[in-house]
Amino acid sequence: MPANSHTARRSLAPPRVKRDWTPYWFAAPVAIYLLLFQGYPLAQELYLSFTSTSLLSPDQHAYVGLQNYIDLVTQDEFRQVLLITAVYTVVCVVLAIGLGLGAALLLDAPFRGRGLARALVTIPWAAPPVAVALIFIWIYNGQYGVFNHLLAACGWTGGMESWLDGPRLALPAVLLTTVWQIFPFASVVILAALQGVSSELREAAVIDGADRLSVFRAVVWPTIQPSVALLSLFLTIWSLRRFDLIWLMTQGGPIGSTNTLVIELYRRAFVYRDLGQGAAVGMVGLSIALVVTVFYFRYNQRTERAKGQR
Amino acid sequence: MSTLSWSHGLRVSLVLALLGVAAFPIYWMLVTSLTSSPDLFAAKPHLLPDLAQWPVYGHAFSTTAVAIWLKNSAIVAFGTAALSIALAIFPAYVLSRYRLPAVAVLGVALFVTQMLPEAMLVVPLYAIFGELGLLNSLGGLILANTAFTVPVITLILKGAVDGVPIDVEEAACIDGCSRLGIVLTVVLPLVAPSLAAAAVIAFFHGWNEYVFAQTLISDQGLQTASVGLAGFVGELSTPMHTVMAIGLMYTLPAVIFYLFVQRYVVSGMTAGSVKG
Repeated sequence: MPANSHTARRSLAPPRVKRDWTPYWFAAPVAIYLLLFQGYPLAQELYLSFTSTSLLSPDQHAYVGLQNYIDLVTQDEFRQVLLITAVYTVVCVVLAIGLGLGAALLLDAPFRGRGLARALVTIPWAAPPVAVALIFIWIYNGQYGVFNHLLAACGWTGGMESWLDGPRLALPAVLLTTVWQIFPFASVVILAALQGVSSELREAAVIDGADRLSVFRAVVWPTIQPSVALLSLFLTIWSLRRFDLIWLMTQGGPIGSTNTLVIELYRRAFVYRDLGQGAAVGMVGLSIALVVTVFYFRYNQRTERAKGQR
Repeated sequence: MSTLSWSHGLRVSLVLALLGVAAFPIYWMLVTSLTSSPDLFAAKPHLLPDLAQWPVYGHAFSTTAVAIWLKNSAIVAFGTAALSIALAIFPAYVLSRYRLPAVAVLGVALFVTQMLPEAMLVVPLYAIFGELGLLNSLGGLILANTAFTVPVITLILKGAVDGVPIDVEEAACIDGCSRLGIVLTVVLPLVAPSLAAAAVIAFFHGWNEYVFAQTLISDQGLQTASVGLAGFVGELSTPMHTVMAIGLMYTLPAVIFYLFVQRYVVSGMTAGSVKG
């Protein structure tokens, strides 16, 4: 968020007479690289989604048109996958932002040891997802896990639960782990945005007798809102494609209760060995991410325009 | 005065609770690794580590390939960081300074890659890597990881270049100069903090990555720590404290490294990423 992006944006566009090829060959290596390692595989996946292809003989494709997609639409299990993906994504984003905002506000005010606290709170974000999955499996263990004991110490009377072994509690347990891992990122981004809040405005509001909530609504929120909006977009996209943590904790189970789109695509491709169906699931996921992004940018444009008119 | 100290006390306890929540799972890895086997399955978990158990770490080194795993992960992480930075600098400059249709297309393409799950692309990538002879090599793994880090890093560096006033470049250009020279000698030093942040982000991606390392590498001697550790999930013959000792040896270097550099990462990242 550079304050002077305005000046920097002044274009270096070349004079019309002679064509300047510099930007093209500057960008060429990355363009080729991404075409080879992202674009080409993506095109292949798109093609695979219209075929019936087995993992065991991936070179033999039978073109089946939209059959894979039709299969998905008509399956009740797939509707459950969509529902679980929606719940997982929305809860992740809402809780990560809520907790991140709370942590950021807490760490914004001056106190002794603030620098250390700001560093320590990022620990979950730095921990590798594979290690996180492993320790949380142990923490959630029904017989020997510490989670039940911690809950009991907090006054919980639900008894000893095997958190990851039943369809009722697995999704909340996976969500809790995910939120633990990603909320520091939200808090770091929001904390950076809070530095842009004008202290004069804040003081003026306090002198006018505004309480904390009104100060937040009138002064703080308008400043950090664009960052929070973009943060939600990124957290949404990342939650739609999160794999390691969920796969290692539950493989999408028990009874499909944590089966998000990416897990489902992996299961279809590698467990049921149906590459065509797996690719179709992947395309559905990608479409959802694209739709969310387009909505975000249109909403963003509208709010910008509204600001301009004011 | 009393209300102030009351709210201060509340704030301090909330901060401590927050830090407790953030650090507990890592602490619990440490405690579990330093708990004797019978105590692991006690009716009440022991909340403090038993320091007499430290030989479990030596045991982990002698009975598993953890040393090789960590070495491979380090190679992949450093390689991913270096290659990502080398590739991202020039397109970042282009994205910031030129307004051309092709540049806009590049920007959108970079953003779209954020939506592609590794788990989806791994099938065609496996075939491509087979064709190119890149399977079972750490270099190949670095190439695959970099494809996922380069877009983010390019966008971060673009934000940093946005913050470099164009006059600085023009001043450097008075006695004639190439665009390449400007980027390398003028722009690059000015965006060094963001460059460091970007390198750290790529490093972490390489260190943590699991799906590609699992799929593109089958040679045991080339396994990364993420794959080695994931192998213990659902496996019951390795004692839990050994597994947790390995988990901690994989986690702690990353966490400690991050704690040292996080200040720079945060400022470098927010120089551009969040609000293009």
